[in-house]
Amino acid sequence: MSEMVRKASVEEIINHWILAGSCILLIITGYGFLFKIEPMYALFGSNMTMKIVHNWTGVVFSASLFATLFNYLHEALTYDADDWAWIKMGGGYLSKKQTVAPPMGRFNTGQKLYYLVILLAGIVISASGFSIWLVQGNRSLTLASHLMHNMAFVLFVMAVPAHAYLGTLANPGLLRIMINGTVPLEVAKKRYPKWMKEIGKM
Amino acid sequence: MSTIKENRKALLISPELCIGCRGCQTACKSWNQLPGQKTINYGTMQNPPDLTPVSFNIIRYSEVPSDTNPVRWLFVSRRCMHCGDAGCMKICPAPGAIYRTKEGAVAYDKDKCIGCKLCVAGCPFDVPRYDAQGKISKCHLCYDRIADGLSPACAKTCPSGAIRFGDRDALIDSAKKAGYAKVYGEADLTGLGALYAFKDAPKIYGMNENPAIAESVIFWNTVLKPLAVIGLGGIVAGALLHYVTIGPHKDADEEVKKP
Repeated sequence: MSEMVRKASVEEIINHWILAGSCILLIITGYGFLFKIEPMYALFGSNMTMKIVHNWTGVVFSASLFATLFNYLHEALTYDADDWAWIKMGGGYLSKKQTVAPPMGRFNTGQKLYYLVILLAGIVISASGFSIWLVQGNRSLTLASHLMHNMAFVLFVMAVPAHAYLGTLANPGLLRIMINGTVPLEVAKKRYPKWMKEIGKM
Repeated sequence: MSTIKENRKALLISPELCIGCRGCQTACKSWNQLPGQKTINYGTMQNPPDLTPVSFNIIRYSEVPSDTNPVRWLFVSRRCMHCGDAGCMKICPAPGAIYRTKEGAVAYDKDKCIGCKLCVAGCPFDVPRYDAQGKISKCHLCYDRIADGLSPACAKTCPSGAIRFGDRDALIDSAKKAGYAKVYGEADLTGLGALYAFKDAPKIYGMNENPAIAESVIFWNTVLKPLAVIGLGGIVAGALLHYVTIGPHKDADEEVKKP
């Protein structure tokens, strides 16, 4: 068996699953609210139950999002010339031709930017959600929160499926990182040469 | 957008006919079995000061300047306006919580209300209140009476004809015949279910000149809602297209191409 490299820690894996699970549950219930989908409410037992599930899943999501700060923020804020080159070639995803992507660290440019988008939209959607839930008696604040919550929602329903596609079908084998956190060394050398050099594997 | 129903019912409120007896407030409490509230005298006829979860209607009292009289008192019945295009219904996320009856009343089902209070923010008239259980509470045009051909309790008890109930079109006609050039609520929000025969500008009676649903709610309804579906559909379709045309990323080939 080939040598494996640990790419994600156990804490990262667990937190990513919590973030993903809560996010998907929030999106599903969110669509239920948005279009008053009666069968969706029925699935949860009653209108009130779905609201409670949505609100408290929001608490889990917010906490999980906060925890990601310690996992990804530093790397997501580190860019160099290779990142710009990566963006220019669209990460190699936009052409059938095999292109060699610029050398990347533990995360590629797309992942780093995706994280920042999710972090910012996540802060907006959490803050506005708590505002709608807990702050009463301020009409303009509630209406502004309602607008922000829904604008961030549109961003989420577009960004999350794209992220899921890129992490599964578009990159066979990547899902493994979400399950046991490891990548074969050979693959890691090709995909994350900078990181491999950093940890002395290359 | 809600459609205007045929034979839509409405209330016609004529402040100049109101004698300020507040029988409407009492009748409302009686029919809807709402408890009394302890209030204080703060120097006005208006009591309670505003709508509450157990006061679906109030007589708003105001003293305004007048050229012809030493005093001019205005008594204006305030309650849910039963908008044709109701902001509360638009923003409410709970199916069946706020609904329109076939008479055009904006009624509600407390069991289906999730207590999010978005209707409070969505209402252009600051009407919905929340009861002690955290559920919506407001005038429902006595939907349980009008469905049986009865008048709402307030209109039934009004001794001076200041609150009249009937077919909306007929009420507008009668107000116009009585000399009111403009009936407040005739066209606003695709027509209000509470019409007002005002002799002066609405703001003298404490009413908003041009009531409208908040622009953010309209933007959310017409742009963001469809976008939430188009966006998701577009991404899923795009991913599918990418998978079929360009296909998944392959590391092995990359290696072959490398010199």
